[in-house]
Amino acid sequence: MDEKVPRSKIIETEIPMGTVHPAALEPYRVRLFVEDEIVQEAEITIGVNHRGIERIMEGLPVEKANALTEKICGICSNAHIWNSCRTAEIGWDIEIPERAVYIRVIMGELERLHSHFLYLAHGCEVLAHETFSMRIFYMREIVMELLAMIGGNRVQYGCSVLGGVRPRCDLDDKRIQRIKDDLDKLEEELTNFAERFTADSILLSRVTGIGVIPQKQALKLAVTGPTLRATGVARDLRTTMFEYDNFDFNVITQPDGDVKSNLLMRALESFESIKIIRQAIANIPEGKVVNKAWDMFDTDIVESYIEVPRGTLYHSYALESGRVRHSVIRTPSMSNIGAMQYACIGDQITDAQLCIVQCDPCFTCSDRAIEIIRR
Amino acid sequence: MGIKSFSRARAIHVMLVYTGGCNGCDIEIVNSILSPRFDAEQYKVFLTWNPREADVLVVTGPVTHLNRKPLEKIYDAIPNPKLVVAAGSCALMGGVYKNCFADIPSEEIEGPVENIIPVDAKVPGCAVRPQDVLAGVVSLLPTLLDAD
Repeated sequence: MDEKVPRSKIIETEIPMGTVHPAALEPYRVRLFVEDEIVQEAEITIGVNHRGIERIMEGLPVEKANALTEKICGICSNAHIWNSCRTAEIGWDIEIPERAVYIRVIMGELERLHSHFLYLAHGCEVLAHETFSMRIFYMREIVMELLAMIGGNRVQYGCSVLGGVRPRCDLDDKRIQRIKDDLDKLEEELTNFAERFTADSILLSRVTGIGVIPQKQALKLAVTGPTLRATGVARDLRTTMFEYDNFDFNVITQPDGDVKSNLLMRALESFESIKIIRQAIANIPEGKVVNKAWDMFDTDIVESYIEVPRGTLYHSYALESGRVRHSVIRTPSMSNIGAMQYACIGDQITDAQLCIVQCDPCFTCSDRAIEIIRR
Repeated sequence: MGIKSFSRARAIHVMLVYTGGCNGCDIEIVNSILSPRFDAEQYKVFLTWNPREADVLVVTGPVTHLNRKPLEKIYDAIPNPKLVVAAGSCALMGGVYKNCFADIPSEEIEGPVENIIPVDAKVPGCAVRPQDVLAGVVSLLPTLLDAD
Protein backbone atom coordinates (compact mmCIF):
# COMPACT_ATOMS: atom_id res chain seq x y z
CA MET A 1 0.00 0.00 0.00
CA ASP A 2 1.27 3.45 -0.91
CA GLU A 3 1.77 5.97 1.78
CA LYS A 4 -1.19 8.28 2.25
CA VAL A 5 -0.11 11.88 2.32
CA PRO A 6 -2.07 14.46 4.30
CA ARG A 7 -2.64 17.57 2.20
CA SER A 8 -2.66 20.68 4.27
CA LYS A 9 -2.49 23.20 1.40
CA ILE A 10 -5.47 23.43 -0.96
CA ILE A 11 -8.36 22.50 1.25
CA GLU A 12 -11.88 23.69 0.49
CA THR A 13 -13.97 22.85 3.49
CA GLU A 14 -13.38 22.30 7.16
CA ILE A 15 -15.85 20.26 9.17
CA PRO A 16 -15.38 20.61 12.92
CA MET A 17 -16.93 18.09 15.27
CA GLY A 18 -17.13 18.55 18.99
CA THR A 19 -16.16 19.04 21.63
CA VAL A 20 -19.51 17.56 22.59
CA HIS A 21 -20.98 15.87 19.55
CA PRO A 22 -23.77 13.30 19.19
CA ALA A 23 -21.60 10.92 17.20
CA ALA A 24 -18.80 10.82 19.76
CA LEU A 25 -19.33 9.45 23.21
CA GLU A 26 -16.44 11.28 24.82
CA PRO A 27 -15.78 14.99 24.54
CA TYR A 28 -12.96 15.67 22.11
CA ARG A 29 -12.59 17.84 19.05
CA VAL A 30 -11.85 16.64 15.56
CA ARG A 31 -11.41 18.90 12.55
CA LEU A 32 -11.86 17.21 9.21
CA PHE A 33 -10.56 18.94 6.08
CA VAL A 34 -12.68 17.75 3.22
CA GLU A 35 -12.56 17.81 -0.56
CA ASP A 36 -15.46 16.21 -2.45
CA GLU A 37 -16.54 14.40 0.71
CA ILE A 38 -13.13 12.77 0.94
CA VAL A 39 -11.18 13.57 4.08
CA GLN A 40 -7.81 15.06 3.17
CA GLU A 41 -6.61 15.75 6.67
CA ALA A 42 -7.84 15.26 10.20
CA GLU A 43 -6.80 16.89 13.41
CA ILE A 44 -7.80 15.68 16.86
CA THR A 45 -7.58 18.00 19.83
CA ILE A 46 -7.92 16.71 23.35
CA GLY A 47 -7.64 18.42 26.69
CA VAL A 48 -11.28 18.87 27.58
CA ASN A 49 -11.16 16.11 30.17
CA HIS A 50 -8.05 17.24 31.93
CA ARG A 51 -8.44 16.69 35.66
CA GLY A 52 -4.81 16.78 36.72
CA ILE A 53 -4.54 13.32 38.28
CA GLU A 54 -0.75 13.44 38.39
CA ARG A 55 -0.91 16.69 40.30
CA ILE A 56 -3.37 15.18 42.77
CA MET A 57 -1.08 12.14 43.16
CA GLU A 58 1.88 14.34 44.05
CA GLY A 59 2.69 13.89 47.72
CA LEU A 60 0.02 11.31 48.48
CA PRO A 61 0.97 8.16 50.40
CA VAL A 62 1.64 5.47 47.84
CA GLU A 63 -1.34 3.29 48.86
CA LYS A 64 -3.70 6.22 48.35
CA ALA A 65 -2.05 7.16 45.06
CA ASN A 66 -2.54 3.59 43.82
CA ALA A 67 -6.24 3.78 44.57
CA LEU A 68 -6.41 7.15 42.83
CA THR A 69 -4.85 5.88 39.59
CA GLU A 70 -7.83 3.60 39.25
CA LYS A 71 -9.99 6.67 38.66
CA ILE A 72 -8.04 7.61 35.54
CA CYS A 73 -10.15 5.34 33.40
CA GLY A 74 -13.36 3.45 33.95
CA ILE A 75 -12.62 0.91 31.22
CA CYS A 76 -9.10 -0.22 32.06
CA SER A 77 -9.20 0.72 35.75
CA ASN A 78 -7.61 -2.55 36.88
CA ALA A 79 -4.67 -2.03 34.56
CA HIS A 80 -3.91 1.35 36.12
CA ILE A 81 -3.98 0.17 39.74
CA TRP A 82 -2.02 -2.94 38.75
CA ASN A 83 0.73 -0.95 37.07
CA SER A 84 0.85 1.64 39.82
CA CYS A 85 1.28 -1.08 42.46
CA ARG A 86 3.84 -2.75 40.22
CA THR A 87 5.87 0.46 40.05
CA ALA A 88 6.11 0.68 43.84
CA GLU A 89 6.83 -3.05 44.05
CA ILE A 90 9.73 -2.67 41.63
CA GLY A 91 11.03 0.33 43.57
CA TRP A 92 10.83 -1.31 46.99
CA ASP A 93 11.71 -4.80 45.80
CA ILE A 94 8.52 -6.34 47.19
CA GLU A 95 8.03 -10.01 46.49
CA ILE A 96 4.49 -10.82 45.38
CA PRO A 97 2.97 -14.19 46.35
CA GLU A 98 2.49 -16.51 43.37
CA ARG A 99 -1.25 -16.79 44.04
CA ALA A 100 -1.64 -13.02 43.90
CA VAL A 101 0.16 -12.91 40.54
CA TYR A 102 -2.30 -15.45 39.17
CA ILE A 103 -5.31 -13.51 40.45
CA ARG A 104 -3.90 -10.31 38.94
CA VAL A 105 -3.52 -12.07 35.60
CA ILE A 106 -7.09 -13.37 35.79
CA MET A 107 -8.40 -9.87 36.52
CA GLY A 108 -6.25 -8.38 33.78
CA GLU A 109 -7.50 -10.85 31.21
CA LEU A 110 -11.14 -10.49 32.27
CA GLU A 111 -10.68 -6.77 31.85
CA ARG A 112 -9.19 -7.32 28.40
CA LEU A 113 -12.28 -9.35 27.51
CA HIS A 114 -14.67 -6.65 28.66
CA SER A 115 -12.68 -3.91 26.93
CA HIS A 116 -12.55 -5.84 23.67
CA PHE A 117 -16.26 -6.61 23.83
CA LEU A 118 -16.97 -2.95 24.43
CA TYR A 119 -14.85 -2.15 21.39
CA LEU A 120 -16.70 -4.66 19.23
CA ALA A 121 -20.10 -3.50 20.46
CA HIS A 122 -19.25 0.15 19.93
CA GLY A 123 -17.74 -0.61 16.52
CA CYS A 124 -20.85 -2.47 15.38
CA GLU A 125 -23.01 0.37 16.68
CA VAL A 126 -21.04 2.89 14.64
CA LEU A 127 -21.44 0.56 11.66
CA ALA A 128 -25.20 0.81 12.41
CA HIS A 129 -25.44 -2.94 12.92
CA GLU A 130 -27.47 -2.89 16.12
CA THR A 131 -28.15 -6.62 16.26
CA PHE A 132 -24.48 -7.47 16.55
CA SER A 133 -23.96 -4.66 19.00
CA MET A 134 -26.70 -6.05 21.27
CA ARG A 135 -25.34 -9.56 21.01
CA ILE A 136 -21.92 -8.44 22.16
CA PHE A 137 -23.33 -6.30 24.95
CA TYR A 138 -25.10 -9.41 26.17
CA MET A 139 -21.86 -11.42 26.09
CA ARG A 140 -20.10 -8.60 27.88
CA GLU A 141 -22.57 -8.85 30.76
CA ILE A 142 -21.20 -12.34 31.54
CA VAL A 143 -17.72 -10.85 31.97
CA MET A 144 -19.02 -7.91 33.98
CA GLU A 145 -20.75 -10.23 36.44
CA LEU A 146 -17.56 -12.23 36.85
CA LEU A 147 -15.62 -9.04 37.55
CA ALA A 148 -18.30 -7.96 40.03
CA MET A 149 -18.08 -11.36 41.73
CA ILE A 150 -14.30 -11.14 42.18
CA GLY A 151 -13.88 -7.43 42.85
CA GLY A 152 -17.25 -6.52 44.37
CA ASN A 153 -18.04 -3.76 41.88
CA ARG A 154 -18.87 -3.72 38.20
CA VAL A 155 -16.38 -0.97 37.42
CA GLN A 156 -13.28 -0.14 39.49
CA TYR A 157 -12.66 -3.29 41.42
CA GLY A 158 -9.61 -2.16 43.41
CA CYS A 159 -8.12 -5.63 43.09
CA SER A 160 -4.39 -4.98 43.42
CA VAL A 161 -2.88 -3.60 46.62
CA LEU A 162 0.76 -3.11 47.48
CA GLY A 163 2.29 -6.58 47.80
CA GLY A 164 -0.52 -8.66 46.33
CA VAL A 165 -4.28 -8.49 45.94
CA ARG A 166 -7.07 -7.55 48.32
CA PRO A 167 -8.28 -10.54 50.41
CA ARG A 168 -11.80 -9.85 49.06
CA CYS A 169 -10.57 -10.86 45.60
CA ASP A 170 -9.25 -14.27 46.65
CA LEU A 171 -10.70 -17.15 44.66
CA ASP A 172 -12.31 -20.14 46.42
CA ASP A 173 -13.57 -23.32 44.76
CA LYS A 174 -17.07 -21.99 44.26
CA ARG A 175 -15.80 -18.88 42.45
CA ILE A 176 -13.39 -20.91 40.32
CA GLN A 177 -16.23 -23.21 39.30
CA ARG A 178 -18.36 -20.23 38.32
CA ILE A 179 -15.54 -18.72 36.25
CA LYS A 180 -15.12 -22.09 34.53
CA ASP A 181 -18.83 -22.40 33.69
CA ASP A 182 -19.16 -18.82 32.50
CA LEU A 183 -16.06 -19.07 30.31
CA ASP A 184 -17.52 -22.13 28.57
CA LYS A 185 -20.72 -20.21 27.92
CA LEU A 186 -18.76 -17.18 26.75
CA GLU A 187 -16.55 -19.14 24.39
CA GLU A 188 -19.54 -20.80 22.79
CA GLU A 189 -21.33 -17.49 22.25
CA LEU A 190 -18.18 -15.82 20.97
CA THR A 191 -17.55 -18.66 18.51
CA ASN A 192 -21.12 -18.36 17.24
CA PHE A 193 -20.72 -14.64 16.88
CA ALA A 194 -17.38 -14.90 15.06
CA GLU A 195 -18.81 -17.44 12.61
CA ARG A 196 -21.83 -15.28 11.97
CA PHE A 197 -19.65 -12.18 11.58
CA THR A 198 -17.22 -13.68 9.08
CA ALA A 199 -20.06 -15.21 7.06
CA ASP A 200 -21.76 -11.85 6.62
CA SER A 201 -20.57 -10.68 3.21
CA ILE A 202 -22.44 -7.36 3.39
CA LEU A 203 -20.77 -6.41 6.65
CA LEU A 204 -17.35 -7.56 5.49
CA SER A 205 -17.54 -5.55 2.28
CA ARG A 206 -18.54 -2.55 4.40
CA VAL A 207 -15.45 -2.77 6.64
CA THR A 208 -12.76 -4.03 4.25
CA GLY A 209 -10.31 -1.40 3.12
CA ILE A 210 -11.73 1.36 5.31
CA GLY A 211 -9.37 3.37 7.48
CA VAL A 212 -6.21 1.59 6.42
CA ILE A 213 -3.06 2.18 8.45
CA PRO A 214 -0.07 0.66 6.61
CA GLN A 215 2.49 -1.17 8.72
CA LYS A 216 5.32 1.22 7.94
CA GLN A 217 3.22 4.19 8.95
CA ALA A 218 2.01 2.48 12.13
CA LEU A 219 5.58 1.94 13.26
CA LYS A 220 6.45 5.52 12.39
CA LEU A 221 3.53 6.83 14.44
CA ALA A 222 4.49 4.62 17.43
CA VAL A 223 1.09 2.96 17.52
CA THR A 224 0.69 0.41 20.32
CA GLY A 225 -1.47 -2.51 21.29
CA PRO A 226 -4.05 -4.32 19.18
CA THR A 227 -4.13 -1.45 16.70
CA LEU A 228 -0.45 -2.09 15.93
CA ARG A 229 -0.90 -5.87 15.88
CA ALA A 230 -3.75 -5.43 13.38
CA THR A 231 -1.19 -4.05 10.93
CA GLY A 232 0.89 -7.23 11.13
CA VAL A 233 3.50 -6.39 13.77
CA ALA A 234 3.69 -9.11 16.44
CA ARG A 235 4.57 -6.90 19.37
CA ASP A 236 2.99 -7.66 22.73
CA LEU A 237 4.48 -6.67 26.08
CA ARG A 238 2.86 -9.68 27.71
CA THR A 239 5.59 -11.84 26.22
CA THR A 240 8.16 -9.95 28.30
CA MET A 241 6.23 -9.57 31.57
CA PHE A 242 7.21 -11.98 34.38
CA GLU A 243 3.53 -12.36 35.34
CA TYR A 244 2.86 -14.21 32.10
CA ASP A 245 5.90 -16.53 32.29
CA ASN A 246 3.85 -19.61 33.17
CA PHE A 247 1.19 -19.07 30.53
CA ASP A 248 1.05 -20.30 27.01
CA PHE A 249 -0.63 -18.00 24.49
CA ASN A 250 -0.23 -16.77 20.95
CA VAL A 251 0.33 -13.20 19.84
CA ILE A 252 -2.41 -12.61 17.29
CA THR A 253 -1.75 -10.46 14.25
CA GLN A 254 -3.86 -9.43 11.29
CA PRO A 255 -2.46 -8.37 7.93
CA ASP A 256 -4.30 -5.27 6.71
CA GLY A 257 -4.68 -2.59 9.37
CA ASP A 258 -8.20 -1.68 8.25
CA VAL A 259 -11.46 -1.81 10.22
CA LYS A 260 -11.97 -5.49 9.37
CA SER A 261 -8.53 -6.44 10.67
CA ASN A 262 -9.10 -4.45 13.82
CA LEU A 263 -12.47 -6.02 14.53
CA LEU A 264 -11.19 -9.56 13.89
CA MET A 265 -8.08 -8.80 15.93
CA ARG A 266 -10.15 -8.09 19.04
CA ALA A 267 -12.37 -11.11 18.55
CA LEU A 268 -9.41 -13.47 18.09
CA GLU A 269 -7.53 -11.96 21.00
CA SER A 270 -10.55 -12.60 23.22
CA PHE A 271 -10.11 -16.34 22.57
CA GLU A 272 -6.49 -16.07 23.72
CA SER A 273 -7.64 -14.29 26.89
CA ILE A 274 -10.12 -17.08 27.61
CA LYS A 275 -7.25 -19.54 27.13
CA ILE A 276 -5.04 -17.68 29.62
CA ILE A 277 -7.80 -17.50 32.26
CA ARG A 278 -8.44 -21.25 31.85
CA GLN A 279 -4.76 -22.00 32.43
CA ALA A 280 -4.70 -19.67 35.43
CA ILE A 281 -7.67 -21.20 37.22
CA ALA A 282 -6.43 -24.72 36.48
CA ASN A 283 -2.95 -24.15 37.95
CA ILE A 284 -3.64 -21.52 40.62
CA PRO A 285 -1.18 -22.16 43.47
CA GLU A 286 -2.17 -22.27 47.14
CA GLY A 287 -0.87 -19.75 49.65
CA LYS A 288 -1.43 -16.24 50.89
CA VAL A 289 -2.55 -13.45 48.59
CA VAL A 290 -0.77 -10.48 50.08
CA ASN A 291 2.78 -9.99 51.28
CA LYS A 292 2.96 -7.43 54.08
CA ALA A 293 6.64 -7.82 54.89
CA TRP A 294 8.34 -4.94 53.10
CA ASP A 295 10.39 -1.90 54.00
CA MET A 296 9.96 1.66 52.86
CA PHE A 297 12.97 3.61 51.63
CA ASP A 298 13.54 6.52 49.26
CA THR A 299 14.04 5.64 45.61
CA ASP A 300 14.85 7.35 42.37
CA ILE A 301 12.22 7.47 39.64
CA VAL A 302 10.90 3.95 39.06
CA GLU A 303 9.31 2.95 35.77
CA SER A 304 6.94 0.17 34.84
CA TYR A 305 5.43 -0.85 31.52
CA ILE A 306 2.58 -3.33 31.12
CA GLU A 307 0.35 -4.42 28.29
CA VAL A 308 -3.23 -3.27 28.86
CA PRO A 309 -6.23 -3.91 26.58
CA ARG A 310 -5.43 -0.87 24.42
CA GLY A 311 -1.64 -1.05 24.30
CA THR A 312 1.32 -0.13 26.43
CA LEU A 313 0.75 1.63 29.72
CA TYR A 314 3.57 3.50 31.43
CA HIS A 315 3.67 4.63 35.03
CA SER A 316 6.62 6.18 36.79
CA TYR A 317 7.20 7.95 40.06
CA ALA A 318 9.84 8.43 42.70
CA LEU A 319 9.17 7.40 46.29
CA GLU A 320 10.11 9.76 49.09
CA SER A 321 9.34 8.70 52.69
CA GLY A 322 6.44 6.58 51.44
CA ARG A 323 4.99 9.35 49.28
CA VAL A 324 4.72 9.71 45.53
CA ARG A 325 6.82 12.32 43.71
CA HIS A 326 7.11 13.31 40.03
CA SER A 327 4.40 11.01 38.82
CA VAL A 328 4.14 10.46 35.07
CA ILE A 329 1.47 8.34 33.42
CA ARG A 330 1.34 7.62 29.72
CA THR A 331 -1.66 5.80 28.37
CA PRO A 332 -1.92 3.85 25.10
CA SER A 333 -4.54 6.11 23.52
CA MET A 334 -2.09 8.98 23.69
CA SER A 335 0.24 7.31 21.19
CA ASN A 336 -2.68 6.06 19.10
CA ILE A 337 -4.03 9.55 18.39
CA GLY A 338 -1.65 9.83 15.44
CA ALA A 339 -3.11 6.64 14.02
CA MET A 340 -6.66 7.96 14.44
CA GLN A 341 -5.85 11.10 12.47
CA TYR A 342 -4.05 9.11 9.84
CA ALA A 343 -6.78 6.50 9.41
CA CYS A 344 -9.35 9.15 8.44
CA ILE A 345 -7.33 10.34 5.43
CA GLY A 346 -8.61 9.22 2.07
CA ASP A 347 -11.96 7.93 3.29
CA GLN A 348 -15.47 9.27 3.03
CA ILE A 349 -16.51 11.76 5.66
CA THR A 350 -19.25 9.39 6.82
CA ASP A 351 -16.57 6.84 7.70
CA ALA A 352 -14.48 9.29 9.72
CA GLN A 353 -16.10 8.32 13.00
CA LEU A 354 -15.56 4.65 12.20
CA CYS A 355 -11.90 5.28 11.41
CA ILE A 356 -11.44 6.98 14.78
CA VAL A 357 -13.32 4.28 16.66
CA GLN A 358 -11.27 1.51 15.04
CA CYS A 359 -8.19 2.69 16.96
CA ASP A 360 -10.02 2.15 20.25
CA PRO A 361 -9.81 5.68 21.61
CA CYS A 362 -10.12 6.50 25.29
CA PHE A 363 -9.68 10.24 25.56
CA THR A 364 -10.41 10.23 29.26
CA CYS A 365 -7.23 8.24 29.77
CA SER A 366 -5.22 10.43 27.46
CA ASP A 367 -5.90 13.83 28.95
CA ARG A 368 -2.76 14.08 31.00
CA ALA A 369 -0.69 17.22 30.63
CA ILE A 370 -1.90 20.36 28.93
CA GLU A 371 -1.32 24.02 29.30
CA ILE A 372 -4.49 25.99 29.77
CA ILE A 373 -4.20 29.65 28.85
CA ARG A 374 -6.97 31.64 30.47
CA ARG A 375 -7.77 35.04 29.11
CA MET B 1 -54.00 10.10 33.43
CA GLY B 2 -54.59 12.66 30.71
CA ILE B 3 -53.70 12.07 27.11
CA LYS B 4 -50.59 14.21 27.43
CA SER B 5 -49.06 12.23 30.27
CA PHE B 6 -50.23 8.97 28.66
CA SER B 7 -48.30 9.69 25.50
CA ARG B 8 -45.39 11.25 27.34
CA ALA B 9 -44.94 8.07 29.36
CA ARG B 10 -44.38 6.18 26.11
CA ALA B 11 -41.55 8.32 24.79
CA ILE B 12 -39.09 9.28 27.49
CA HIS B 13 -35.79 10.30 25.95
CA VAL B 14 -32.70 10.29 28.09
CA MET B 15 -29.66 12.23 27.01
CA LEU B 16 -26.31 11.37 28.50
CA VAL B 17 -23.77 14.14 28.75
CA TYR B 18 -20.30 13.49 29.80
CA THR B 19 -18.29 16.18 31.51
CA GLY B 20 -14.87 14.69 32.13
CA GLY B 21 -15.29 11.77 34.50
CA CYS B 22 -13.54 8.46 34.09
CA ASN B 23 -15.86 6.75 31.54
CA GLY B 24 -17.02 4.17 34.08
CA CYS B 25 -20.40 5.76 34.85
CA ASP B 26 -21.06 6.53 31.20
CA ILE B 27 -20.67 2.98 30.06
CA GLU B 28 -22.83 1.75 32.92
CA ILE B 29 -25.57 4.23 31.96
CA VAL B 30 -25.43 3.29 28.29
CA ASN B 31 -25.48 -0.30 29.52
CA SER B 32 -28.53 0.25 31.68
CA ILE B 33 -30.60 1.83 28.93
CA LEU B 34 -29.35 0.24 25.74
CA SER B 35 -28.01 -3.19 26.57
CA PRO B 36 -30.29 -6.22 26.59
CA ARG B 37 -29.47 -7.12 30.19
CA PHE B 38 -31.12 -4.13 31.91
CA ASP B 39 -32.90 -2.73 28.87
CA ALA B 40 -34.82 0.38 29.83
CA GLU B 41 -36.12 0.49 26.26
CA GLN B 42 -38.74 -2.07 27.20
CA TYR B 43 -40.25 0.62 29.45
CA LYS B 44 -40.17 3.11 26.56
CA VAL B 45 -37.11 4.93 27.86
CA PHE B 46 -34.79 5.70 24.97
CA LEU B 47 -31.25 6.97 24.73
CA THR B 48 -30.72 9.98 22.51
CA TRP B 49 -27.79 12.22 21.66
CA ASN B 50 -29.94 15.13 20.54
CA PRO B 51 -30.71 17.70 23.25
CA ARG B 52 -33.75 19.04 21.39
CA GLU B 53 -35.37 15.65 21.66
CA ALA B 54 -34.44 14.89 25.27
CA ASP B 55 -36.63 14.95 28.38
CA VAL B 56 -34.15 13.75 30.99
CA LEU B 57 -30.53 14.87 31.06
CA VAL B 58 -28.15 12.50 32.81
CA VAL B 59 -24.89 14.22 33.74
CA THR B 60 -21.76 12.35 34.77
CA GLY B 61 -18.34 13.66 35.69
CA PRO B 62 -17.04 16.54 37.77
CA VAL B 63 -17.49 19.23 35.02
CA THR B 64 -14.01 20.29 33.98
CA HIS B 65 -13.31 23.90 33.16
CA LEU B 66 -13.63 23.44 29.38
CA ASN B 67 -16.83 21.41 29.73
CA ARG B 68 -18.83 24.06 31.57
CA LYS B 69 -20.04 26.02 28.51
CA PRO B 70 -21.09 22.94 26.50
CA LEU B 71 -23.07 21.68 29.50
CA GLU B 72 -24.90 25.00 29.88
CA LYS B 73 -25.63 25.12 26.15
CA ILE B 74 -27.01 21.59 26.18
CA TYR B 75 -29.19 22.37 29.19
CA ASP B 76 -30.60 25.44 27.43
CA ALA B 77 -31.30 23.49 24.25
CA ILE B 78 -33.55 20.96 25.98
CA PRO B 79 -37.23 21.94 25.73
CA ASN B 80 -39.40 22.23 28.85
CA PRO B 81 -40.31 20.22 30.88
CA LYS B 82 -36.78 18.99 31.52
CA LEU B 83 -35.23 17.11 34.39
CA VAL B 84 -31.63 16.56 35.35
CA VAL B 85 -30.12 13.48 36.97
CA ALA B 86 -26.60 13.79 38.36
CA ALA B 87 -25.05 10.33 38.33
CA GLY B 88 -21.93 9.22 40.16
CA SER B 89 -19.92 10.69 43.00
CA CYS B 90 -18.05 13.06 40.65
CA ALA B 91 -21.28 14.69 39.53
CA LEU B 92 -22.58 14.86 43.09
CA MET B 93 -19.54 16.34 44.83
CA GLY B 94 -16.57 16.46 42.47
CA GLY B 95 -15.31 13.04 43.49
CA VAL B 96 -11.62 12.39 43.93
CA TYR B 97 -10.75 15.21 41.52
CA LYS B 98 -12.35 18.06 43.47
CA ASN B 99 -9.41 18.80 45.77
CA CYS B 100 -5.83 18.48 44.73
CA PHE B 101 -4.36 18.01 48.19
CA ALA B 102 -6.34 17.84 51.41
CA ASP B 103 -8.85 20.67 50.94
CA ILE B 104 -7.10 22.81 48.32
CA PRO B 105 -9.62 22.97 45.46
CA SER B 106 -8.37 21.94 42.04
CA GLU B 107 -8.42 24.64 39.38
CA GLU B 108 -9.63 22.30 36.69
CA ILE B 109 -12.89 21.30 38.31
CA GLU B 110 -15.96 23.55 38.15
CA GLY B 111 -18.33 21.00 39.60
CA PRO B 112 -20.30 19.55 41.25
CA VAL B 113 -23.05 19.71 38.64
CA GLU B 114 -25.32 21.58 41.08
CA ASN B 115 -23.08 24.65 40.75
CA ILE B 116 -23.87 24.92 37.05
CA ILE B 117 -27.37 23.65 36.37
CA PRO B 118 -30.26 22.71 38.71
CA VAL B 119 -30.32 19.02 39.63
CA ASP B 120 -33.54 17.09 40.29
CA ALA B 121 -32.27 13.64 41.23
CA LYS B 122 -28.95 12.37 42.51
CA VAL B 123 -27.65 8.88 41.92
CA PRO B 124 -24.67 8.00 44.13
CA GLY B 125 -22.00 5.41 43.46
CA CYS B 126 -18.53 5.07 42.01
CA ALA B 127 -19.27 3.84 39.46
CA VAL B 128 -23.08 4.00 39.50
CA ARG B 129 -24.83 0.67 39.25
CA PRO B 130 -27.25 0.36 36.32
CA GLN B 131 -30.06 -0.53 38.73
CA ASP B 132 -29.52 2.75 40.59
CA VAL B 133 -29.62 4.77 37.37
CA LEU B 134 -32.91 3.18 36.42
CA ALA B 135 -34.29 3.87 39.90
CA GLY B 136 -33.18 7.50 39.64
CA VAL B 137 -34.80 8.03 36.25
CA VAL B 138 -37.98 6.23 37.33
CA SER B 139 -38.26 8.34 40.49
CA LEU B 140 -38.43 11.44 38.31
CA LEU B 141 -41.15 10.17 36.02
CA PRO B 142 -44.15 11.44 38.07
CA THR B 143 -42.73 15.00 37.98
CA LEU B 144 -42.21 14.75 34.24
CA LEU B 145 -45.63 13.29 33.47
CA ASP B 146 -47.56 15.79 35.60
CA ALA B 147 -45.77 18.84 34.20
CA ASP B 148 -47.65 21.16 31.86
